Amino acid sequence: MLLLSGVLAGPAARAADQHLQVFVTAPYLQMHTGPGRGYPVFNVVDRDAGVDVLKRYTDWFKVRDSRGVEGWASAHDMEQTVYADGTHFHYDTGDLNAFTSHRFEAGAFFYGDYGGASEVSVYGAVFANPNLAAEVSVAEFLGTASNGTTVDLGLVHIFYPQARLAPFVMLGTGVVRTEPKATLVEPDDRTEQSAYVGAGLRYYLTRRFFLRGEFKEHIIFTNRNQNEQVDEWKFGFAFFF
Amino acid sequence: MEIRLRILLLTVLLGLSGSLSGCATLRHLFGHDDAPPPTPAPAPADAGSSTDRSAADDTTPPRVIEPAVERKDVKVPRIKSEDIEVGGYVGTLNIEDFGAHRVFGVQAAYHVTEDFFFQAEYGASKAGYTSFEVLSNISLLTDNERWYRYYDMSVGYNFLPGEVFLGRNHAMTSSFYILAGVGSTDFGGDSKFTGNFGAGYKILPTDWLAVHVAVEDRVFNSDLLGVSKLDSNLEAHLGLTVFF
Repeated sequence: MLLLSGVLAGPAARAADQHLQVFVTAPYLQMHTGPGRGYPVFNVVDRDAGVDVLKRYTDWFKVRDSRGVEGWASAHDMEQTVYADGTHFHYDTGDLNAFTSHRFEAGAFFYGDYGGASEVSVYGAVFANPNLAAEVSVAEFLGTASNGTTVDLGLVHIFYPQARLAPFVMLGTGVVRTEPKATLVEPDDRTEQSAYVGAGLRYYLTRRFFLRGEFKEHIIFTNRNQNEQVDEWKFGFAFFF
Repeated sequence: MEIRLRILLLTVLLGLSGSLSGCATLRHLFGHDDAPPPTPAPAPADAGSSTDRSAADDTTPPRVIEPAVERKDVKVPRIKSEDIEVGGYVGTLNIEDFGAHRVFGVQAAYHVTEDFFFQAEYGASKAGYTSFEVLSNISLLTDNERWYRYYDMSVGYNFLPGEVFLGRNHAMTSSFYILAGVGSTDFGGDSKFTGNFGAGYKILPTDWLAVHVAVEDRVFNSDLLGVSKLDSNLEAHLGLTVFF
């Protein structure tokens, strides 16, 4: 009985180690020596034969045929395969539809100006629906009078998310840590809260890439007589997933 | 005549009360609340009797056969992705005016396509002494200020992908890449906005391991020695990364 239960449990226990198997529906599936369009084709898998999908690197899948030969197949070629139940294998390489509706995105701003200081920043966003996202951005600004870091948290509303060029508006709050540079009298570093409104443009490039440019107007709540107003311009690359 | 009419009306009334008593909305009206709910009749002992079956069909709802087989959720195995590359490097960094010194760093990259990737780096080195400091025996910076720390974010492009052959039976994929980006350098008690650009060559002994040789230049505007000038800090390093 124990032996029988062991035999029955065997396949289930091994299932965790098993790879996805797909079957070729095109006349053949090409296997390249490396994950790139320039690498030569060294093996083909015939129609109706199955291959194990071992891993993925960008738009390439490492597959193993029934003889144990391993190679790389492009996502485009893998579209011509089916699962065991006959449904088509599909891997989302990113398109305008995915740009319209996705769950997460992240990016880096390679040009930034924060009140006249140069700025480096990154951001990440999670989407509630195609129009609305919660976003966090972290930046370091480096100027002649002061350096500092900012952390912003806010909401983004995208108009016409289905368009290749989509405008958006932003609203949020944040924290600014300012480190004035030493002069005759060395002032203290200070951390202050801020609020911002902003607007920008997103332009879909290809696959999962898009460009993003934005303007934010920050109001920094100081303990001096007047609050401080800082304009911020940023431009960078982003990708969604 | 009158008696006949009364009998007719009473007969109609009795007939109506009998037929309307089956209507659910009128059950309260006719005091049918106390009636017990219909119980299914016990299964007939003799299933072969057609008369019994027809009698049971009239009184019990049709029986639904519950399959004893459990429904199995078929899980498609997840395809492992290896778009993220993480590792470290060691090399030599030439800090302008302060000599060339060992640099250590960590790097992480996200490969979006086979061509493009985002890369972030963080590295640290410790500067030596300028010629002026050596000759005059005057120290311009404190020990802590001599630490040279930087980070950068770059966009990279793989070009000239190829293969390297090790004898007859082993081939390793390889690629040249160029990258450029921005970042920050903390040196001499100040942080400076820094531009970086460079090129590298990587060989992958296996699918998940890469050996890098890279040269990068980090440029920033410095007034550390009293004159504002563009500092160029060239770095060459050897790195080891893994994909996961």
